[in-house]
Amino acid sequence: MLLKISWRNIWRNRARSLVIIIAIILGVTGGNFSASVRLGVEQQNFRETVENQVSHIQIHHPEFIANPEARFRIPGGNNKAEEISEHPGVSSVSARTVVEGMAASANMNSGVMIKGVDPESEANTSGLDGLVTEGSYFEQEGRLPPAIVGRELAETLLSDLGSRIVLTFQDINGEMISASFRIEGLFEVSSLAFEKSKLFVRSDHLNELIGDTSAVTEIAVLLSDNDRYREITDELQGLYPESKVRHWADMRPALFYSLEFLNQNLIWLVAIIIMGVSFGLLNTILMSVLERIRELGILMAIGMKKIRLFGMIVLETTMLAAIGGIAGLFSSWALISYLGRRGLDLSGTGGEGMGEFGYASVIYPALEPAFYFQVAVVVFVFAIIAAVYPAWKAIRLVPAEAVREE
Amino acid sequence: MKTVIKTNGLSKTYTNTAVPVKALKNINLEFREGEFTAIVGPSGSGKTTFLNVIGGLDKPTEGSVAIDDVDISSMKESQLFDFRLNHIGFVFQAYNLIPVLTAMENTSFIMLLQKRPKKEMEERAREMLEQVGLSDKMNVRPSQLSGGQQQRVAVARALASKPDFVLADEPTANLDTESAFNLLDIMARLNKEENITLIFSTHDQRVIERARRVITLVDGEVSKDEQFERD
Repeated sequence: MLLKISWRNIWRNRARSLVIIIAIILGVTGGNFSASVRLGVEQQNFRETVENQVSHIQIHHPEFIANPEARFRIPGGNNKAEEISEHPGVSSVSARTVVEGMAASANMNSGVMIKGVDPESEANTSGLDGLVTEGSYFEQEGRLPPAIVGRELAETLLSDLGSRIVLTFQDINGEMISASFRIEGLFEVSSLAFEKSKLFVRSDHLNELIGDTSAVTEIAVLLSDNDRYREITDELQGLYPESKVRHWADMRPALFYSLEFLNQNLIWLVAIIIMGVSFGLLNTILMSVLERIRELGILMAIGMKKIRLFGMIVLETTMLAAIGGIAGLFSSWALISYLGRRGLDLSGTGGEGMGEFGYASVIYPALEPAFYFQVAVVVFVFAIIAAVYPAWKAIRLVPAEAVREE
Repeated sequence: MKTVIKTNGLSKTYTNTAVPVKALKNINLEFREGEFTAIVGPSGSGKTTFLNVIGGLDKPTEGSVAIDDVDISSMKESQLFDFRLNHIGFVFQAYNLIPVLTAMENTSFIMLLQKRPKKEMEERAREMLEQVGLSDKMNVRPSQLSGGQQQRVAVARALASKPDFVLADEPTANLDTESAFNLLDIMARLNKEENITLIFSTHDQRVIERARRVITLVDGEVSKDEQFERD
């Protein structure tokens, strides 16, 4: 009966209840949507960073990190890459020869990180083939060896597909080497810094030039499970103590902390919005209590205990919050699911500038199912808090006085 | 007939006003089972205060109220809630009913709080609504009932749980003459049939003439206590 009375009570002033329900729906939807955009951006950034840039794990000679030179190679690099690829948690491995150097065109030059790769294993590990938006991916055989260049770098060099570029770098003995390459493909990623600083050639071409045909300076490891990177890093470090094994969180700490911060604190973004809305809810319930003083007095006079009366007011508040909260969760889920598939294209609204900061201009909002549950709990908790004052006000009424209230 | 209510040296002084107001002064009364009593007197004579004190809604400043030999004036608030629920029926001046419940649900409400079995509750509520002539309005909400009909539902609710006595504070104050007589007839009939003690306050002469016992209060004191033979 208490449920029935509470349910009917909230519809006594239909317009007022609808206003607060709509406010809750908008609050929950707005909060969830902004949280999903924030999380979507970072998750996209994570995916691109791990899947296209640094992989889950990288292995180097310990000196290579400070001095990326060909003399700091991984001993038995190809064998190690082979062994690692057998690990059940590993999806693919790319053994690279990475050297710092200079790329020059007829007009301009730019400092670059030259990555010598095996086209097939690189495609499996960093998906480089899929990032090529113009030209082809190590398919052409010509007089000059091919290079896959970031579009931003090509623009810096005032070069285009088919253009010749000269790469200058040190060989294994520290001697300067220059060699010509032809741009076969242009790749694009969200991060303009990556596009501008990375250049891919075939490892057999590069190794020949640096003077060690089996040279490996970097082993990039892509895992099949995002969550196992720490465990497998430790395992590999144990296997190869002479090398430095690092995971993506070590290499991109800003991204790691950003994701950690979001995972732990994103709920507060929604909680603050819901807290604001809960003041509206408090006001609605308080008004309804003050309008019913006589009625509440009569209920107490005829023997309805204060605890029940308190429960009735709390029930009315939580029912309003539940209607708004559930509808808000559903509408935000629908909106986020739709935009998560279709993408939120900010390129027409100045979003193209996001690439400067390493972000994509098309955002795919995303929220974990558990987050919706957390929001539901937050709505419930704030509804209870909002109910306390009106309910307390109700039970403080003196029945003998309340029944005479006009 | 056994004594249902007994007041002993009952006084009530309100001190939350600029000047303390003595609303009741040394009232010694007894009400017996099945009595049909009107508490009359001009406005401010203490009628409502008296009903509130014997109904456990207010506490006396001095003296005591015993219901079936149980002193309720020393009870804690939570005990009073239970006591009112199980022993006393109330009918107020107006807007007695829970607006969101139907006549049937309103009539069952006290029995529901008492956790009576559903079947018994429904049968009794139906019977009471028939008694007050509203069997055709069982599923109607108070807003669709006239003032007189609403008061009849309030009477049905007050009597449905078979309390020791029913207190009605000016139940006819907001009713036209016909509705007032109609309500009083019903109350008088139910008083006899159900043998429930009924005490109501009024300053309406038409109502006073129906009561079998009339207690007149003046300035918080009993000035007259008369018995009448009525049909």
